[in-house]
Amino acid sequence: MEVGFDKKLLGLIPKIEKLEPITRITQMKDIIINNERFLSLEQALIITDSYKRTEGKSRSLQRAEALSDSLELITINIDDDELLVGNRTVGIRDGVVFPEAGISWVEKEIDTLPFRAQDKFSVRNKDKVDFFEQIVPFWKGRTLEEYINTNCGNEISAISGVVKINQKDHAQGHIIPDVKGWLGKGPLGLLNELESHKSINKDHQKAEFYESVEIVLKGALRFIERYAVLAKSLAEINSLNDSKQELMTISNTCNAIIRRPPETFREALQSMWFLFVILQMESNASSFSPGRIDQYLFPFFEKDIKDGELSLSDALELLEALHLNFNKIVYMRNSEGARYFAGFPIGFNISIGGQDENGEDAANALTFLILKAQEHLGLPQPNMTARLYNGSSDEFIDTCSKVIGLGSGMPQIVNDESIIPSLQRVGISKKDAVDYGLVGCVELSTQGNNLGWSDAAMFNLLKALELSINDGVCLLTGESKGFSAGALEDFSSFDDLIDAYKKTIDFFVNKMMKAVEFVDRAHAVMMPSPFLSSVIKSCTEKGLDVTAGGAQYNLSGIQAIQVANVADSMAVLRQMVFSEKRISKEEFIKALRGNWKGYESLRQSVIHKVPKYGNDVSWVDRFGTEWADYFAHSLENFQNIRGGRYHMGLYTVSAHVPMGKNVGASPDGRFSGSPLADGGVSPMYGQDIKGPTAVLNSVSKLKSNLASNGTLLNLKFLPSFFTNKEDREKFNQFLRTFVELKIHHVQFNVVNKHDLLEAQKYPDKYKNLTIRVAGYTAYFTELAKDLQNEIIERTAHEM
Amino acid sequence: MTGTVFDIKRFAIHDGPGIRTSVFLKGCPLRCEWCQNPEGIPLDPILWYFSSKCIKCGECVKNCPVDALTKGGQDPNYIEIDHDKCTLCGRCTDVCPTAALSITGEEKSTEWVASELLKDKVFYEKSGGGITLTGGDPLYQHEFSLSILKAIKEYDIHTAVETAMFGMEENLLKFVPFTDLFLVDFKILDNDKHKVYTGVENKLIKSNFERLSKKTENILVRVPLIPGYTATEENIINIRDYVYSIRADIRIELLNFNPLARDKYKILHKQYPTFQTNRSYSEEEMQSFNRFL
Ligand code: SF4
Ligand code: SF4
Repeated sequence: MEVGFDKKLLGLIPKIEKLEPITRITQMKDIIINNERFLSLEQALIITDSYKRTEGKSRSLQRAEALSDSLELITINIDDDELLVGNRTVGIRDGVVFPEAGISWVEKEIDTLPFRAQDKFSVRNKDKVDFFEQIVPFWKGRTLEEYINTNCGNEISAISGVVKINQKDHAQGHIIPDVKGWLGKGPLGLLNELESHKSINKDHQKAEFYESVEIVLKGALRFIERYAVLAKSLAEINSLNDSKQELMTISNTCNAIIRRPPETFREALQSMWFLFVILQMESNASSFSPGRIDQYLFPFFEKDIKDGELSLSDALELLEALHLNFNKIVYMRNSEGARYFAGFPIGFNISIGGQDENGEDAANALTFLILKAQEHLGLPQPNMTARLYNGSSDEFIDTCSKVIGLGSGMPQIVNDESIIPSLQRVGISKKDAVDYGLVGCVELSTQGNNLGWSDAAMFNLLKALELSINDGVCLLTGESKGFSAGALEDFSSFDDLIDAYKKTIDFFVNKMMKAVEFVDRAHAVMMPSPFLSSVIKSCTEKGLDVTAGGAQYNLSGIQAIQVANVADSMAVLRQMVFSEKRISKEEFIKALRGNWKGYESLRQSVIHKVPKYGNDVSWVDRFGTEWADYFAHSLENFQNIRGGRYHMGLYTVSAHVPMGKNVGASPDGRFSGSPLADGGVSPMYGQDIKGPTAVLNSVSKLKSNLASNGTLLNLKFLPSFFTNKEDREKFNQFLRTFVELKIHHVQFNVVNKHDLLEAQKYPDKYKNLTIRVAGYTAYFTELAKDLQNEIIERTAHEM
Repeated sequence: MTGTVFDIKRFAIHDGPGIRTSVFLKGCPLRCEWCQNPEGIPLDPILWYFSSKCIKCGECVKNCPVDALTKGGQDPNYIEIDHDKCTLCGRCTDVCPTAALSITGEEKSTEWVASELLKDKVFYEKSGGGITLTGGDPLYQHEFSLSILKAIKEYDIHTAVETAMFGMEENLLKFVPFTDLFLVDFKILDNDKHKVYTGVENKLIKSNFERLSKKTENILVRVPLIPGYTATEENIINIRDYVYSIRADIRIELLNFNPLARDKYKILHKQYPTFQTNRSYSEEEMQSFNRFL
């Protein structure tokens, strides 16, 4: 390909394809993963001292000073072989205690942290003492958590079960900063810009906001400078020539990005990494997501490659170093949270590919290099998202498929064709919508200008159904939840039931909105975030903190949980109870109240004799569509306190497990307390028995347009689909059809030996596992055990 | 018109190009010892049982009016079916809560089959796929097969027919205008062995093949590799030479063996043949077979 016409350097792909794993990176990877993790109190102590010093100032200034002090005082170091420096703790993957948001869970769990089943953290004795002596007493009455509890705790717990209100004891996160702007201007440029905004907006509150931003940006510069100095002094004492050289490069890089915007690929990566470290130091939150890194980093990459300043393998090494860094910062959750978000996912979601503003394929050489890094590392972070659209190249799709086949579940696939229009529907301009990226797991957002508040709350539609057929009484506790629209026995027709369900949803939506509003406001009061505000467009123009509505776009996302269980339950109620009358209403509700005890045969019939969501059966799928629609529309009557819209998401990630714990036996045959369908829009496990095309067809009937906050679909595939070129080609076609069907998202789990062993043990959960052999018709769970073993062996072999 | 269908499988990816849906039609004149869908051989429906789904509740046994079912015969984990006694009344399948019992082979209309097939139209379009008639052998219910092919062709969807070509020539040739690809099975070239292992001679098969190859270019010959039966150097080379002597541009594909049908023989009270090996061939083994082509 002629270089002159190869604007995206796609001619490099064959060379990228051949790049080998890098030993030094692999070694660092092992260290990161196997390193002992500690609870870290250092920043909490700095923040506490700072607050004592700034007592009496506004919360915004206090937060700014606390961050600035942290940037000034936190111990920093540079690990051996590190290429991109910067961390908020000396230890790799330490768990940071963050008092401004809330520490009550640490108080309760500090003793069990080192021993809990999932995501352990060791605790040094001194830290424990300091925690109870210095941190706990000072922060009584000063945290976000307490502020919310005192003022709105009762309202929140009154609706718990149906509604889970989020962001109650930690900062919001879930945002894509304006990385492009940060790289284009540098912290110094942002400071200069601040001056001009300041001169226009002069009232008192705004002055305070500007002062806060100024404090943190200056702090950021100092923080980077400290690394420049440290690297230089380490270079001076280092005797190895190579290491000396590298440390000097680090020092020079840091110095450069203090003085001016980055110019090289290395400087850009280093600058970007500092941005994310500092954002974490300000907020300690899940999901500050980098967005479309293959787009905004490309000019730097392109320039260096063309100038001959950078070899492909050096570029890959730097990228892999960035990938490693994404794994160095973890988010310490309480034990409950750790169980459901195992491996402390922190939501460094990067989005690659997709289209540019002219509708042309945006994938470039860097896109392929990023996929290469994923192929080599397969780490849990970054969370990688590949954007597909009708114009995506075969090459891009095939490379994604190959990486998916390695089994890390990444990249997950999203769909421009459905996402862009759905974002436009909630008031986002075409230009911004086209430039969307993913936040955290599957949340949809524009880049650098949007406080999407994507996890405001989760609304358990299945629990609402339970209350609708049981007189407003919780099946688990026997407690009345404050609203009744009747019980199953009372409904003379299926329509009566629908009416009751609607009333129940309306009742809880109204209550939920009050709580969500309060929490939103509480963040503006307790967690103003001047540094984040400096990298979200329009905050500094308006002179308004991002938590107070400074961003250009202000949305709030609420998740409807869970389409599959609602559709299946409705199908069972309609077919078995109301149409066929195989069982009386009284008997049926009795079975649910007793958690199916003595009704196993009925439960089996419920599972096997009524078609379920995910099998392309229109009348069943329609229930899912109808209730998601109803919920989405019910949100439209409200506006959030930042002046933005509420919109719906259809995802739970792993919360289908705890959400299921809150729901009694459900009409779809589910036992009390057991998990709901996974993901968000996935069929109930084991119920999709018509194969993956039927699943996509069912899911496509949901109006993805109304789920502009994001959806999540999980599918399982055997590894053979990816290893064999012909099969992979069909998988690629499957992806193209996914795009055509306008489904937002799909993620692939490659089935491994372990899964198949599980399938042998729990066939009901894996009924959907198909074995595809020419002319042969079988589901895995229908095979006799020894034949299953044969497949298991074969699969293990393919892995 | 109607016919007997025993399965419809979506996302079939090994029965022709692209993503396909395969229709399994009942009835086959051959009796291959290794048949992997033995339930597809007889035209009549048959009561079918999935032991892995059965919770051993015994409801079926209690409800069978003719005592065709017994619990805990030779194998205590199985419900044994006396297929001779069973009248296919459907009582047991109705009471069975887990759908472990079902009648395989249902009378379906052309319209019903077509509407099932059209559900994945968008996948066919995007992948260059389509539908495949298989079985049993589609030639057995040739009128029904033809009606499905015609119905599907209305939508301009790619069609494939998998057949062993043991049937009347004129019926086979009627498929030609509505079939984009013939997947023809060639098992054994030696006539005597063919008779022993499949129950029929292969003279008719050969003459049909020769006629078909004059009428259409879209033929893919598929040889199922059955250890100890078809998977020999001699047989593969013979088939190759024969096919190429008819037309040198016809592609031949070897299908790997899979031992997945054993359970089916048990349910049918049939003897499952003992093969030289009980696993699929490895990639290397497949490569060496392919070298004979
Ligand atoms: S189909 Fe009828 S006759 Fe046959 S086994 Fe079942 S109940 Fe008995
Ligand atoms: S009724 Fe069904 S589940 Fe019960 S024993 Fe018979 S086959 Fe098994």
